[in-house]
Amino acid sequence: MTHDGLKAIDRRAFLSGTTGALAASLLPGSATSGDAKRRLVLAETQASLVGSGHPKTRVWSYNGTVPGPELRFKQGERLQIEVENRLPQETTVHWHGIRLPNAMDGVPHLTQQPIARGGKFVYAFDLPDAGTYWYHPHMLSSEQVGRGLYGPLIVEEREPIRVDRELTWVLDDWRLRPDAQIDDGFGNMMDASHAGRIGNTVTINGRVPDTVAVRRGERIRLRLINAANARIFGLEFAGHEPIVIAYDGQPVDPHRLKQRRLDLGPAMRADLVIDMMGKPGERFTLTDSFYRRQAYKLVDLVYGSESLRETRLDATFALAANTMPEPDIGNAVRHDIVFQGGMMGMMVERQMGGGSGSGMGMGGMGGGMGSMRDMMHSGRIWRINGVAAEGHVMKPMLTLERGKSYVLAMTNMTAWPHPIHLHGHSFRVISRNGAPTRDREWLDTVLMSSRERVEIAFVADNPGDWMFHCHILEHQAAGMMGVIRVA
Amino acid sequence: MHKLIMAISMMLSLAGSSAARAQGQTEALIYKNPSCSCCDAYADYLQQNGFKVTVRETHQLAPMSRKAGIARDFEGCHLAHIDGYVVSGHVPVSAIRRLLGERPAIKGITLPGMPLGSPGMGGAKQEPFTIYEIGDGAPKVFAKE
Repeated sequence: MTHDGLKAIDRRAFLSGTTGALAASLLPGSATSGDAKRRLVLAETQASLVGSGHPKTRVWSYNGTVPGPELRFKQGERLQIEVENRLPQETTVHWHGIRLPNAMDGVPHLTQQPIARGGKFVYAFDLPDAGTYWYHPHMLSSEQVGRGLYGPLIVEEREPIRVDRELTWVLDDWRLRPDAQIDDGFGNMMDASHAGRIGNTVTINGRVPDTVAVRRGERIRLRLINAANARIFGLEFAGHEPIVIAYDGQPVDPHRLKQRRLDLGPAMRADLVIDMMGKPGERFTLTDSFYRRQAYKLVDLVYGSESLRETRLDATFALAANTMPEPDIGNAVRHDIVFQGGMMGMMVERQMGGGSGSGMGMGGMGGGMGSMRDMMHSGRIWRINGVAAEGHVMKPMLTLERGKSYVLAMTNMTAWPHPIHLHGHSFRVISRNGAPTRDREWLDTVLMSSRERVEIAFVADNPGDWMFHCHILEHQAAGMMGVIRVA
Repeated sequence: MHKLIMAISMMLSLAGSSAARAQGQTEALIYKNPSCSCCDAYADYLQQNGFKVTVRETHQLAPMSRKAGIARDFEGCHLAHIDGYVVSGHVPVSAIRRLLGERPAIKGITLPGMPLGSPGMGGAKQEPFTIYEIGDGAPKVFAKE
């Protein structure tokens, strides 16, 4: 076959027997706490993603590293960062998951003018909630995030839980050519109309991982961030029983993984507590099995010879609640939201009874799939309530009254999963396919399966125009975004 | 484990190839997105029309189509390798048979845009399908069906 090079990279990346990446290299550079003004400089650089024996990859970076520096603050502190753009494109920085003032949200043209080439912008806002967040551009984001622009933003609890070690893993998925350079076919319609730009090389903190050294008895808090454009991870921890303590930065009643797997769509985060109770010298594989027939080994946990303790650490790991107002669901105003489009979208719409229930009809789809090619030419492939967005500035799809409670009843009337992100707010997921959720988890990005119905509830307490979009960045660029106004 | 699976599937396809040759069947190796059911339906369609079909899943269809010489605006949603040619998208077997019979000096053929009514897509045909040659120059029409 003609694509052997790609396959070689595939195998190299997914099997990675040789890099010998140590736990130390899995720690991103960190820039710790304090109110002092800091800087993020965006520039092209080279990164050793695939490891020694392979060329370095030309990437775009914050402060010269992929991921960008781990920004750490304490809950209640003020973030103040000057961003300087030395890239060949305009950019913005979005602080994903943070409930901040609208003008600091980093959405080009909607909340700020783009940061020009050579330009600077100062972001300054308070951090009301503890948790695991991240930052990334919101401009041409398929390419900019796809070239390596992202970093973790950790807001520590005022009284952190007791663990022996804390790890942050920023997961990413790159589409590399055989020479380890980024495939520059951004914005193609194949990716946009299917599952997005899923790559062939998965990294943890900017390296194809090999092993992570652990000790028997050690309690680790693992902060997971999915920074990939499109890949959904389904992580299975053989031989271990991770406890979820937070999703998207927000505390949840601690519980074991459902179906023993953690599904993490693009932009989603999870905090896990893992007691390492294997024996010295043992080795366990962490597998990603989301795309069932393409399961692969992500990394091995390798126990050293020394034990830290023989029984589980006896300490609580429940986190204190954050500061979100509780929605009054009984009196909430309901809005229906339907997601449509993409490959096989017509088929699903027919099966699910069209979009007629919402009164939004089929948008411009009257011509049927015969017009799929026209749709793909125009790049407007996905619709929210019948509208395919072009750019970030548009008429709000909803205007919500500030301070009121709302339920958004969302239907994924497409053949594909979508991680749906609301800016400026966290919301409770109250039901899936009509059944109440057990944890009523607070999220800012909810993964919806094909044909799934999900209800979310929140208080619209943050004034401004907020993006509401699919975080598969190629879907977002191909129309799957809208604006929700809180006024 | 992954390596092992690759090795096994390679053995199977080799075994398949001699069996196919014994029956005089033409082999088709289809690369498709893991989640796309229309492409599965297309694989069934080729199988029903006498091809010996092997399906492989990949997320790399866009770069693979580029590498096969298919311009961005002309790609179909899956990529088949048939007897030295690439066949992109939901191309009817009549066009494939003509391609294999005439054996022109091109890389293959493509039906862009997943038109309604084409094999595997379902629905009613809206207009004739325009199938293009994949070659080095500007895309030329191979057939209208």
